[in-house]
Amino acid sequence: MTEDRSATLIAEAKAMRYSRRTVMKRASAMGLSAAALGSVLTATGHAVSAAPNRAPALLQGGSLNMLISTAFVPAAQDFFNEQATTWGEDNSVDVTVDFINWPDLQPRTTSAVQAGAGPDIVEMWDAIPYLFSESLLDVSDIAAAAEEVQGGYFDWVVKSAAVDGEWKSIPHGNSGAAMAYRKSYFEQAGVTDPENNFPATWEELFEVGKILKEEVGKPLGQALGQSLGDPPGFCYPYMWSHGSMEIEEDGTTVAFDTDGFREGMETFVNAWPEAFDETGLGWDDSTNNSAYLSDQLSATQNGSSIYLAASDPEGENSNPEIAEDTFHATLPSGPDGQFAMLGSRSMGIMDYSPNQDEAKAFLEWWFSAEPFQAWLESFEGYILPPGPTFTELPVYVDDPKLAAYLEIADIARNKGYAGPSNLKAAQASSQYVIVNTFANAIQTGDVATAIEQGAAMLERIYSR
Amino acid sequence: MSTLQETRPSERLIVPDVQEGFWTRFQRRESSLAWLFLAPGLLILILFIAYPFAYGIYISLTDAFVGFAERNFIWLENYRRLLDDPIFQKTVRNTFVYGVGTVPFKLALGLGLALVLNQTFRFSRLYRAFLLLPWIVPTAISSLAFLMLFNGVMSPISWVLEDWGIVSGSINFLGDPINAIVSLCVANIWRGVPFFGISILAGLQAVPDDLNEAAALDGANAWQRFMAVTWPVIRNITLIATLFSIIWTFADFQLVYVLTKGGPANSTHIFGTYSYQTLGYTDIGTAAAISLYMFPMLAVLAVILLRYVRRDD
Repeated sequence: MTEDRSATLIAEAKAMRYSRRTVMKRASAMGLSAAALGSVLTATGHAVSAAPNRAPALLQGGSLNMLISTAFVPAAQDFFNEQATTWGEDNSVDVTVDFINWPDLQPRTTSAVQAGAGPDIVEMWDAIPYLFSESLLDVSDIAAAAEEVQGGYFDWVVKSAAVDGEWKSIPHGNSGAAMAYRKSYFEQAGVTDPENNFPATWEELFEVGKILKEEVGKPLGQALGQSLGDPPGFCYPYMWSHGSMEIEEDGTTVAFDTDGFREGMETFVNAWPEAFDETGLGWDDSTNNSAYLSDQLSATQNGSSIYLAASDPEGENSNPEIAEDTFHATLPSGPDGQFAMLGSRSMGIMDYSPNQDEAKAFLEWWFSAEPFQAWLESFEGYILPPGPTFTELPVYVDDPKLAAYLEIADIARNKGYAGPSNLKAAQASSQYVIVNTFANAIQTGDVATAIEQGAAMLERIYSR
Repeated sequence: MSTLQETRPSERLIVPDVQEGFWTRFQRRESSLAWLFLAPGLLILILFIAYPFAYGIYISLTDAFVGFAERNFIWLENYRRLLDDPIFQKTVRNTFVYGVGTVPFKLALGLGLALVLNQTFRFSRLYRAFLLLPWIVPTAISSLAFLMLFNGVMSPISWVLEDWGIVSGSINFLGDPINAIVSLCVANIWRGVPFFGISILAGLQAVPDDLNEAAALDGANAWQRFMAVTWPVIRNITLIATLFSIIWTFADFQLVYVLTKGGPANSTHIFGTYSYQTLGYTDIGTAAAISLYMFPMLAVLAVILLRYVRRDD
């Protein structure tokens, strides 16, 4: 049966001159395994340089468990699972993958470290490698090999995933946030050619937002609930673009309460009821996606997952009309510049693991060119690679609507800037200090007190 | 053999046999048997309750972070620092609001439901089974249902009220601090009423019908019959149910975590969610201290309620 489907796809791909991306999408839709996909890619001339798929014989009979975050692009999650399973079958290693919501990775890892037992490989998000630096195996050898494959690591990757310059985990990039917006609504609000003329500053965006909410009936949407993705994705860049940051480069001086930030916050608080959907204070990372996809919003800050979900003809959120009308722009700038928040995910091997050889072998294979490229492609451009090698892949350059996401790397800062994404930055993030300063300011209307309270909390955290 | 034959049976019972083995003596003692039966339960208690509790107290007195070997004994520093923490202050206040805002309603509604379902009417058994539904549905799942109902953008409640002309737009259920805590209380009450209902219903089954009939014949009205006949029978079970409900409400986690994660702006944290949030960045010492702040409050409450129950026994 698999051979039949593979043959059908090969014939289809040759006749229709499918791109590599289309072949992968069709293969996923037809339920082909990663192994079958590999043969189809080879037969259609889309295979990349071959990588050894077999680990040393000493691993055979072992086992490997991984804790990975669920993917906002569902097909990519299935693809990773296929990759892991196929590698396990090829090497006689019993591989299992547990997928959990990414905000739960940190507490689950905490429990595993405390218990001294659990997954062998854990996917880490920014700041997590710092939290568990004493419980992670040194993987600088694999990270160095992966760095060669990636053509070097971007600055934002080193600053967010390395622990004091050392690799306790191997970075594999992350999704960035831009403004996803409905072109037709912005045109109705008086913006001519929004693709080339998207509001460049926050103030301009808020002004258009007022028209969008009042006259078009489609407000801006911004999640400001206690969630670790979209709320900080907006609040940190907005803070930075108004001359504020958690900490100076010395790592001890809190630089949060600035005149520029107070002014910027005042502007935002005034714009909130007039330009935004006010229920955003209770939204989590998924609420703005569903609000946008149900045609409630004109724009929201998000990864490319909204657009990809709407574009996927076989997905449950398929909406060609919204997909066609959706475009992306980098976040607007403030008086002190234009920024985005970006921290790399990485794969770490836990030091309690009895399967360290299997874990190393898997990661060595997975971070080699072919499987890593295939994994990136399965995300259809949602995940930004950690280095320049793969930035020219069709998934990033074929669709001009996704171009904004590649620009994020140039304006990205890490949590905890101007310091590293360390334990303190993780605490400030977990306590939602920055996000709640915004939420408090909106709720009370007292900008000065909200910022003072936020600064006091940062002082407490950074002085411990 | 000869010794046994010369001794009367009564003397054999009284005079201990110095030759008797340990096992025989052990079997003969009633207390031994009691300890034997108690042992499994006691072992479970020690392993899974007492040890973690003691370890929790120890951890709360240190500056331990998960994954870092170095830890120092800092006595009550974590507890002292929490007193200055504005989020913890909110957490304490919220926990009391959450308890006071739900337990009386759960009690009143549960009592009412139990009194109704204690009557015999068509499909009464079916309704009794339905009463249990909110209780048997896993909390995480019912919380997700409430998350959908309280969605800020697409809430069926908002749609219905908007259609009836009661509200003009989406209700900001979880984005406004007061609305959020009220929403949490409503969801908690919905989930908690069946426990009271079923517990009190069980108590009501023990109320003798003839007493009620006799009181009615003597001219007592429904309220007098309830106070004089029914209440004394169900009082203890009601108090015990209340005690458990207070403990569970104070120690709640799932509902609040799923609906608000303690937000917006930390305005709905209760002990469990704030402790979890703190553990998120591996600060297990402070997280343990937050949880343990709950213990003396609940212990005092439990003692008061149980003394009250025993006094009347």
